Amino acid sequence: MQKYLKSMAYGFHVITHPFDGFWDLKREKRGTLAAAVTFAVLTVLMLVVRKQGTAFLLNMNRLEDVDMMVDIITVGMLFILWCVANWCLTSLMDGEGKMQDIAIFTGYSLLPMLIIQFPLVVVSHMITAEEGTFYYVFTVISYLWTIALLVLGMMITHQYSMKKTLVTTVLTLVGMAIILFIALLFFSVIQQFLTFIVTAYKEIRFR
Amino acid sequence: MRKRQKILRIVSGLALAAGMLLFRGQEACASVMPYDTYSYDWWTEDVLQPHAYLYTESYAGNRFGSEMKTPQDMFFRDGFLYIADTGNNRILILTEAGEYVDEISEGLSGPQGVFVTKEHRVYVADSGNGRVVEYDEDKDVVREIGRPETDLIDASQNYVPTKVVVDDAGRIYVIAYGINMGLVEFNEAGEFQGFMGATQVTVSPFEYMWKTYFSTDAQKQRMETIIPTEYSNIFVDQSDFVYATISNLSDEDHLNGADAVRRLNPTGTDVLRRLGNYSIIGDLYSASDEAMWSSFTDIAATDYGCYFILDNAGGKVFCYDYDGNSLFIFGGMGSRNGLLRNPTSLVLNDDQSRLYILDAQLGSILGFDITEYGANLLGAMKAHYTGNTEQSDRLWREVLRENANSEVAYIGMGKISMREGDYQQAMDYFKLGNSRKYYTKAFEFYRKELMQTSFAKYMGVAIFLIAAVLLVSAGKKIKRWVGEVKCRNI
Repeated sequence: MQKYLKSMAYGFHVITHPFDGFWDLKREKRGTLAAAVTFAVLTVLMLVVRKQGTAFLLNMNRLEDVDMMVDIITVGMLFILWCVANWCLTSLMDGEGKMQDIAIFTGYSLLPMLIIQFPLVVVSHMITAEEGTFYYVFTVISYLWTIALLVLGMMITHQYSMKKTLVTTVLTLVGMAIILFIALLFFSVIQQFLTFIVTAYKEIRFR
Repeated sequence: MRKRQKILRIVSGLALAAGMLLFRGQEACASVMPYDTYSYDWWTEDVLQPHAYLYTESYAGNRFGSEMKTPQDMFFRDGFLYIADTGNNRILILTEAGEYVDEISEGLSGPQGVFVTKEHRVYVADSGNGRVVEYDEDKDVVREIGRPETDLIDASQNYVPTKVVVDDAGRIYVIAYGINMGLVEFNEAGEFQGFMGATQVTVSPFEYMWKTYFSTDAQKQRMETIIPTEYSNIFVDQSDFVYATISNLSDEDHLNGADAVRRLNPTGTDVLRRLGNYSIIGDLYSASDEAMWSSFTDIAATDYGCYFILDNAGGKVFCYDYDGNSLFIFGGMGSRNGLLRNPTSLVLNDDQSRLYILDAQLGSILGFDITEYGANLLGAMKAHYTGNTEQSDRLWREVLRENANSEVAYIGMGKISMREGDYQQAMDYFKLGNSRKYYTKAFEFYRKELMQTSFAKYMGVAIFLIAAVLLVSAGKKIKRWVGEVKCRNI
């Protein structure tokens, strides 16, 4: 428990000192998978709070249509897809990170979104539409920070050069798309196959 | 959401049918109108509204003596209806109850437009003869205004005026078939002045490159030429501004956000207020079975900025307020009483209590009477426009009592609350009316007020907290220092 809390707190060091932080996460065993998963769960929570709690002026969501499942699936699926695609690629491209290391650096990279966007929900209740620009600027900053951390985390975890990191990032995104495509294809084929069996069974029964 | 509405509609339809079986022979009620009245909300979903106008009766040939044949235009002035009975080459004059008064037929050939000034001088767009004719109160010809003398119109092109209006200053505006440079403007003396309010042509860069550099001459010839759209109808309002409608907008135009209605000031600049949630194009979606958008054929404006547009494609009437918000939409195509076949013209009487639609295929005039709800809604708009806060407050409440979904009513109530200085109440109303534009104004005032009244309180608490934290940390430091000194002394 002590280690878990310490590894959570270490996240603040990671996002401000990424080179040192990501190195220690892996090599000094400062990070835990539990903390990474916690950050992912908190991201889901952040999305839920943001969609429902943001002030009327800056909230374009229709509250009747807001669904928590959408957030859970988006974050969960993207997280797992990213980790799997990244692991598949980096194990072919001399990456040093194991599956667990990848999950950890990805989880820790989500922290800037949490520490910026949670307070923004509160701030949104105090600003007018014109001042909403500041709100959007900070939102964008949180996204950019997270993306930068993802790239740096990958570079340090796998001991890559910058160039190789960027190429791997693009390839990872392509890999994610391919996995998705195959998954959809798989489901569609299974579905057709099952329908065929059911239809054939019915035909035979009713003869 | 839509599905739920559909189910609701089916259920209510069944209930209605059962009710009708039970109470057969009872008076027809508002709910058996052959059309729905609806409006679009902030999420661009169509929401049913109470009826604003109900079909009451139609005037056909048997009422005033002779059948009409493809009538194209109608005008209302001081209790009389003037109809351009195009197929019979005459202008028919009826009372507002549909009784025959008079007709003008001498020398007319397929007149498609008619306008009557406040002095009861009748202007007719005599399309077949290529002229505009003016008649005095006794229906005698005063003058005729022929083809404009200009090189701007190709000599080989026929001049076929279809619609005509005259403003209070005596300027005459004419829409002519095939002339796409805008409205033809004549001065009081009938001399050609120029073209007004030409629609701007927009070409996408891609389209331009494709046409200029990559197409062969043969291809170019077969391609659609890019020409400005023509106006389909005009209406002059009480401040001499000309409302003009455009009917033939394509899918592409809709994608590019083209406008189908304009309000031209005397210099020809479009000054229509477009502050609504979406552009003024009638129905927001084309009918799903056939790609069909609303096609505006006529417009009638009230003197408080609300205007009614007639749609020839769906047989609907669209009512918009001064800002361009959709107030209500009703009507439809079909063969039942109260539905339309080929509507060509729409007029309102002076207090908007009755709306007349001229149908060319039916050859009749359909009268629609305003309901209490419609009167309250338009009355509230009028009261707001003239600055009568008390009355608009009362009427908005009436509107909300009958229609709790009315966004415009909530916005109207919000504006009143804001004027009274109750910003918190205004914020609530604007939220219900889904208007972020006004909400932010109310919020700004509310925040300012809050800061003025409670700034000292909050700041005091904040300073106290900061001081407490500082004291505690200072205390710790002192303690540590004392400890160190003690250690050293031992």
